[in-house]
Amino acid sequence: MLRQIRTALRTGIVTEPVARAGEIERIGERLASEISRLFGRSLAIRQVDAGSCNACELEITGLTGPHYDVERFGVHFVASPRHADCLLVTGPVTRNMAEALRRTWLATPDPKLVVAVGDCGLDGGLFRGSYAVVGGVADVIPVDAVIPGCPPSPAALLAALLEAIGRLPR
Amino acid sequence: MSRLAYGLVALIGVVAVALGAYGVLGGTDVLRVPWLVPLGGLELALDPLGGLFLALIGFAAVPASVYAIGYPEDGRPGRWAYVVFVTSMCLVPVAANVMTFVIAWELMSLASYFLVLHDRESKESIEAGWIYAVMTHAGLACLLAGMLLLGAETGSLRFADWRSAAAVLTPATRNAAFVLLALGFAGKAGVIPLHVWLPLAHPAAPSHVSALMSGVMIKLGIYGLLRVSLDWLGTGPPWWGAALLLAGAVSSVIGVLYALVEHDLKRLLAFHSIENIGIILLGIGSAALYRVAGQDALAILGVVAALYHTVNHAAFKALLFLGAGSVVHATGTRNMEAMGGLIKRMPWTAACFLIGSAAIAALPPLNGFVSEWLTFLALFQNTHLASVGQNLVFTLGIASLALTGGLAMACFVKAFGITFLALPRSDAAARAHEANPPMRLGMLALAAACVALGLGPTVVVPAFGSVAAAVLRTTPTMTGGDWLTLRVSGEFAGVSTAAIAVALAASLLVPFAAFRLAGASRRTRLYETWGCGRIVQTPRMEYTATAFANPFKRVFDFFYRPTRRLDIEFHPESRLFVERIEYENPTRSIFDDWLYRPALDFLRAGARAVGTLQSGDANWYLAYILAALLLMLVFA
Repeated sequence: MLRQIRTALRTGIVTEPVARAGEIERIGERLASEISRLFGRSLAIRQVDAGSCNACELEITGLTGPHYDVERFGVHFVASPRHADCLLVTGPVTRNMAEALRRTWLATPDPKLVVAVGDCGLDGGLFRGSYAVVGGVADVIPVDAVIPGCPPSPAALLAALLEAIGRLPR
Repeated sequence: MSRLAYGLVALIGVVAVALGAYGVLGGTDVLRVPWLVPLGGLELALDPLGGLFLALIGFAAVPASVYAIGYPEDGRPGRWAYVVFVTSMCLVPVAANVMTFVIAWELMSLASYFLVLHDRESKESIEAGWIYAVMTHAGLACLLAGMLLLGAETGSLRFADWRSAAAVLTPATRNAAFVLLALGFAGKAGVIPLHVWLPLAHPAAPSHVSALMSGVMIKLGIYGLLRVSLDWLGTGPPWWGAALLLAGAVSSVIGVLYALVEHDLKRLLAFHSIENIGIILLGIGSAALYRVAGQDALAILGVVAALYHTVNHAAFKALLFLGAGSVVHATGTRNMEAMGGLIKRMPWTAACFLIGSAAIAALPPLNGFVSEWLTFLALFQNTHLASVGQNLVFTLGIASLALTGGLAMACFVKAFGITFLALPRSDAAARAHEANPPMRLGMLALAAACVALGLGPTVVVPAFGSVAAAVLRTTPTMTGGDWLTLRVSGEFAGVSTAAIAVALAASLLVPFAAFRLAGASRRTRLYETWGCGRIVQTPRMEYTATAFANPFKRVFDFFYRPTRRLDIEFHPESRLFVERIEYENPTRSIFDDWLYRPALDFLRAGARAVGTLQSGDANWYLAYILAALLLMLVFA
């Protein structure tokens, strides 16, 4: 404890300001108003890796970093499907992950939204037809929207999320 | 036969409660049998403070004895030691002279020593009994020295005479007597650093005995400290109160810190006794300081807080030990890591243990909350004192009580959660069975007492206020407020546990009613516990007590000084496959390492040095006798 306090005092503040402009801001603001209209406050997303190469995860992680900082638009990544409104599933669904994905979907409270991410999530992508792969996300659980790309950029992710939410019934 | 013994103790308990209540309400009585014991004869006197502790012993002994009727004996003796134990405890608070007191005190210690040695086969028990015997007799030596000193200076071995003679004693005598007596009583109470016997002795005894040792016997140390610091020696110098307050602050924080990393259920409870003794001492210390400053009303508040917490601790700690006893009997182990899932298998025990846990964690509206709240109020009013040093001591007390409260809560989340929730971690836990009816009855009675003491402070506080006033020899000023709201020091603070209870119940019931009225869908979906999508969930994936305690171990590493040992055996073909992992993360006691070990080493070295005198040669021994004779002739 004493060591941690000492380190904190010695290091001081090391962050630097970020320029805030561009497409992300515009999409983000629309997303924020859409989310608050639909959910009241924020959208809780549980990210599920069903066998991805982790490229999509890198982009998704980028969203929560200080540069994009999507939490300010009311998009919130949570640690359990029990807390989630939305599952963000990446990767082709491998045989080993199919049952886990199905259980994750069952564990998410209704009503829920499933968004498949990346070309692999769409139909297995590069790995389609492999003996180790069951197929796209839609082959295992019902999917509401797909965000194509290999991998989709953070801006594309946000835009697709906005579109997916916009298509929801009132 | 054993039923007869335990029934007899329950009867003694009922009589003790009745007599004690009579004493608390102002009844006084003296019983004198001069021929029975030498040096002053047997003398028993009932006064409000003695009556309160007598009632307390009976109050805990009745449910513990009822529980003991159902507790499996395993063919081991101990019931008559138990009878002697409870009876001698009843004599301690009403003893009115040194001889009676010392005989009762020593009988109590010896009887409890035999009860600690209940399991005579296990090395652990023998070690516990040995350390207990040494510590308790070191305490007795201090008590005897202090009492004989006072006897010599005042010319009387009767406690009543000390009260009147205290004012004319020299400060040096009074200080010496205070230090000796306080050390002796603090050893029995388990005040840090004299606590080492407590976490060893309590788990070794059968659970109904642990309940009484922890709930009542160590309280007799508190009884002694109250007598010494406030009664027998009159108003002492401020450092007495400050020393008690500091001892309380240290004991409470260190007791709970040790409890947090302890995974033996009964040892954990034993460490919590140290913590609660610390909280009681905070009340007594503040009372002593207020009294020196002439703030009699605040001194009464401090004593009331201490007495209330004493009674509360007896109720919930006895309850928890009885609950732990049921669990230990059902699972055959004291190790929490081998328990789990017991709430399904022993729902009565789990419910009682939960009430006890909430009470000891000072959650409203239960009794622990009321007394810790009173202790806080006694400490918060230190602004009435002028001395900066004393105010700093009070601040330390406040901070330590706050820290203790938080850590105790965390500890009982662990104790209850790991023991009773989730899946059973061992076959024994999976096959556990509910306690039998007498055991359940004992626990339920104490659980009801916890609730009653929590909901009825407006009845209890004025009664304790008059006891406190009798101890401090002032007029009672403590009122309980109106019948629902407890008010302290005029308008300084007030709380209504009944209103809190109603609000809590409403917060549970109102949402149900509101949803029903609003016509919300009552469709429910049952699904297994979320386990990260795994196909099979096993107890190996559960949260362990070690894992729960680990953050605390890291934060307070300067205190625990943990050592970490990781032993991994890999598969001979590949390091990717692990055959066996052994992980150990024990903590080291600074009291063992820095206080007791050096002291013992010093003693041993001294003994070795003196041992050379004993050569075994008769000629030398004759020479010693001659030398001694010569010396006596020269000096006489």
